[in-house]
Amino acid sequence: MSATQFSWEPAYIAVAVAGAAAYAWAARVDRPGRWRIASEAVGLFLIAAPLNSPLETIAAKRLLLVHLLQNALIADIAPVLVLLGLTPPMLARLTRLGGNRIRARWAILAWLAAWYGTHIAGFYNWALENGWALNVEHGLLIAGGLLFWWPLVAGRLSVPAALAYLGAGFVASSFLGLAFIFSSHPFYSFYEHAPRLWGLSPIRDQNLGGILMNGEQTLVFLCAIGWYVSRLLAEEEPAQSLQER
Amino acid sequence: MDEWADTHLAMHMLQHVVIGDAAIALMVFAVRGPLLVFLLPPPVLVRVARARSFLSLLLRPRIAFGLWAANLAIWHVPYLYDLALRHQGLHDFEHLCWVGCGLLVWTLLIDPGSHRRLSVGGRIALAAAMFAAGQVLADVLVFSLHPLYPAYPGRTDQQLAGVVMMGEQLVTLGVLAFVLLRPRLRASRLVAA
Repeated sequence: MSATQFSWEPAYIAVAVAGAAAYAWAARVDRPGRWRIASEAVGLFLIAAPLNSPLETIAAKRLLLVHLLQNALIADIAPVLVLLGLTPPMLARLTRLGGNRIRARWAILAWLAAWYGTHIAGFYNWALENGWALNVEHGLLIAGGLLFWWPLVAGRLSVPAALAYLGAGFVASSFLGLAFIFSSHPFYSFYEHAPRLWGLSPIRDQNLGGILMNGEQTLVFLCAIGWYVSRLLAEEEPAQSLQER
Repeated sequence: MDEWADTHLAMHMLQHVVIGDAAIALMVFAVRGPLLVFLLPPPVLVRVARARSFLSLLLRPRIAFGLWAANLAIWHVPYLYDLALRHQGLHDFEHLCWVGCGLLVWTLLIDPGSHRRLSVGGRIALAAAMFAAGQVLADVLVFSLHPLYPAYPGRTDQQLAGVVMMGEQLVTLGVLAFVLLRPRLRASRLVAA
């Protein structure tokens, strides 16, 4: 199979279409702004496109590096964009429908379990060898990402708690990327025997995958931490101006 | 550690972050409050008082952070790093720069004299900015595909140096952020209850 050929995980086209339809339906009552629509659209696109394109072919047949890129897109970036696309009334509705039961401490544990659990060698190899199992892997990553970002986007955490939550998430999730970077033998037998691409040996492929994963997470988490630090400063402003008077 | 630092970049990095960050943080923390006044002998204190306006200038948050970040960037330029390794005098000056710049930022972060140059949010912001700047260097070291410093040819050693930087910052700045945020976390929990 050529590396540029399309591969499909139609379940995630269905998920993206269903998500877009639900969003359009909710938007009839509560009209979102342009940037929210853009965020939702990009988020849903990032769920469907990496899993239904040549990226999927390379990820599932050739290179771990591209598979990790795919995972980073669907688990880290797409969920936060999807949630940021929701308006406050939409978030309030989801909160009433069960979102209020999601506790931050369980959300972070569930996200970490999905993040590390799906990358365990036995599970990863099994998923790569069975098409439907790959769907399960991706589903777990998307669900984990949505759970992790929910307490933040839904405003269920105070600013200091959000900073602590993000810090804990950043530290706890970084070990996987570091393990890929510093490993001297391939973790996944599937990629050891897969036809190579771009002259990357299995171990180089794995090291580069770790670098990509670590870089992406650093960027996403630093942006989120930066946003909450700016909110912390904004919260202090009225108190400071009172003190100065 | 100094001997190992000659052959291992990771150990050299550990040396730098200890003298420029962890040790300074502990030192500044140790002299909080009234102890600060009695720390220096009176003749030295008089001289420090004379340079007060200059020190105040250096302790402006943007200037202190700018100096700290510039110091971090400049001393990691491969040419300068290599030059310092070959000239002991320059190497000593480099270590002095780490200590000096570390003192500036950690004085702002811990605020031993309660000068309130920065609010709690400002201190968290400074810590985040330091972490972000440190991450840039750590990422360059970890993600670089080739060894950057001729004296240290091992790529894994270089990547470990990046992780050392990242880990040390996570510990020192993370502990600081936690200590600063803890009262607010408690307050928000009480409000929620």
